[in-house]
Amino acid sequence: MNPRDAILGAIRASLGHEPADAANVAREAEALIAAPARFQPKFDNETNRSRFMARATSERLTATVDEVGALSDAPGAVRNYLVRANLPLSIARPPAALLRDLDWGDVSGHETLSPDEPVAVNIADWAIAETGTLVFTSRPDSPTLFNYLPLHHVILLDGGKILRYPEDYWAKVRQSGAAHPRSTNFITGTSGTADIEGQNIRGAHGPRFMHIVIFGGAP
Amino acid sequence: MQVTSHKFKENVKTALGQPNLRVALDRTTGLLTSRRRETIAAYPEYAEARTTAARIKDHTLAHLDHYLEMFEKNATAAGATVHWAQTPKQATDIIIEICRRHEAKSVTRVKSMLGEEIGIGEALRDAGIERVETDLAEHIIQLAEEPPSHIVVPAMHKTREEVADLFRLKHHDPQKTDDVAELVESARRELRPKYIGADIGISGANFLIADTGSVVTVTNEGNGELTTTLPKVHIVNVGIEKLVPSMEHCAVFIRLLARAALGTEITQYTTFYNGPRRQGDVDGPEEMHIVLVDNRRTEIFDGYMRPMLRCIRCGACMNHCPVFNAVGGHPYGFVYPGPMGAILTPAMTSLETAGDLPNACTLNGRCQEVCPVNIPLPDMMRRLREEQWQRALTPASMRYGLGFWAFAAKRPWLYRLGTRLSVAMLRLLAGSKGRITSLPLAGAWTRHRDMTAPQRGTFMDQYRRRRQP
Repeated sequence: MNPRDAILGAIRASLGHEPADAANVAREAEALIAAPARFQPKFDNETNRSRFMARATSERLTATVDEVGALSDAPGAVRNYLVRANLPLSIARPPAALLRDLDWGDVSGHETLSPDEPVAVNIADWAIAETGTLVFTSRPDSPTLFNYLPLHHVILLDGGKILRYPEDYWAKVRQSGAAHPRSTNFITGTSGTADIEGQNIRGAHGPRFMHIVIFGGAP
Repeated sequence: MQVTSHKFKENVKTALGQPNLRVALDRTTGLLTSRRRETIAAYPEYAEARTTAARIKDHTLAHLDHYLEMFEKNATAAGATVHWAQTPKQATDIIIEICRRHEAKSVTRVKSMLGEEIGIGEALRDAGIERVETDLAEHIIQLAEEPPSHIVVPAMHKTREEVADLFRLKHHDPQKTDDVAELVESARRELRPKYIGADIGISGANFLIADTGSVVTVTNEGNGELTTTLPKVHIVNVGIEKLVPSMEHCAVFIRLLARAALGTEITQYTTFYNGPRRQGDVDGPEEMHIVLVDNRRTEIFDGYMRPMLRCIRCGACMNHCPVFNAVGGHPYGFVYPGPMGAILTPAMTSLETAGDLPNACTLNGRCQEVCPVNIPLPDMMRRLREEQWQRALTPASMRYGLGFWAFAAKRPWLYRLGTRLSVAMLRLLAGSKGRITSLPLAGAWTRHRDMTAPQRGTFMDQYRRRRQP
């Protein structure tokens, strides 16, 4: 017997029943997560935006946040960050039209990544308020590595795209009916490790610094 | 890996003789347990989440055949190749065959306990393929040529001073001081070129999503995504119990896992993978392989240990275990130490090999209390002890000891006399200190800690005294 049949056969022998009706199993599964408010952390006194900002800038996540009026103001905020952090006025950015079409002034941009890229600027698809998480998905104009290789991770975030819970994000994906991308990345703060004596250290393999520029949306 | 669980007692003696080990253990588990307490106190919905999580796992296990087939279908539709392996050998054969087909010289790896379980390190070595461990802790123990001592923080047995010495010896451009941040930077410098040069990346999975065919990894360092995105092939080795029905079910576990393991709300990187690189993508692997591994899980599934398959490998049980905290993970002699290891090791090796493990337990119940999926670990330890007794695997000294105790316990006058004499004798030994620093016939016990002297009077004496008006 091949391993697949042996494994499934052993499971069915233990369960002692024929494969259950798929619709019934789905109903049972659905009931288990009905009324998710039961187990979602409540933050009734905070807006999605205020919760997101509080989490992102917490001691644990260590990000810094800027708020600007519109996307067109974002390059200015990015430039200020580069100057503050003593970085050259040169950024890596994914080959997305939205980013390319912005007026970057004297900040030069390249759409490739070197192994030791100092700064990459990216735009998040969504954010999740509960945990201060940014959501990125892989596409031809949104390669994954822009979020992992650089030392400084600078992210532009539409203030109107901060969801409350991860469940809200998955609901959006379901509604869209689109296939899941190759890679969906929930990113919460900077790369870190507690592997030596439990001490939290930043910049283990990925970015050591995170700066978020929130544009638009209700303040 | 080389199983040394049958030498548990010997291993414990060695561990207790290492003064650095105690320092390293206290520094790490102390932080992990206090952080866990704080984050759970700040999550009033925790109890409900924990109950829900256990129910989700029970439901998934009750339909495991259905969900495995659903996962296989959806992962295949996303372009991944799904393989099945009953034994560690079958699993490593599949992985090595993929490596050979791609003429791989170097493989980067993200820590996964299943990889340890199937002995992926040894298999790659035997095949002459370079293996680069990218998780910082795994990198440390790879350099030290030691097995992991904890499932979440595998190098917890090492102090920062020991890591510093190791890096000075092995790194090309080592740090200048023993500062932990400098140690981390040294590893970053050392590993960065290795990511770029690897032919294949191997990872485990924290969850498999049945209705989308996704593989989910939960990490902090970012080494995971560098390992799975840069090489041209991504191989996932994963146990068949990692399934959950959907993304929304998975969300419940993600809230629990980081809180239980590290005392944080979420880890930095949670990634959902669906197949290889798509048309037009500029990064990501060209092939994705998922190796579903049984390794006796179907046997565990068949008996009273089935709840063990709810385990999400958070390590909270070991962080809170007094035995683990005294001896660390190495004496357990297998991939899984602490309370969960005391169940899984006999199940995955044999009760003959690992019979000491379920006995190295005070039954204080903390492991179950802190378990995010409420696994009845103490009950299973008791069942394993029973099984040992029935199969006459219990050592003679214990059988005689228990026989002697039973003889006395069935004769109240003798039992009371015995306990009264023991109380008097122990109090005499303790003197005015109230603690006994050396005990005849139990030198091994008092060598590493004092024994507290009993209160005045036996239980029955005190009971009688208090009942008087």
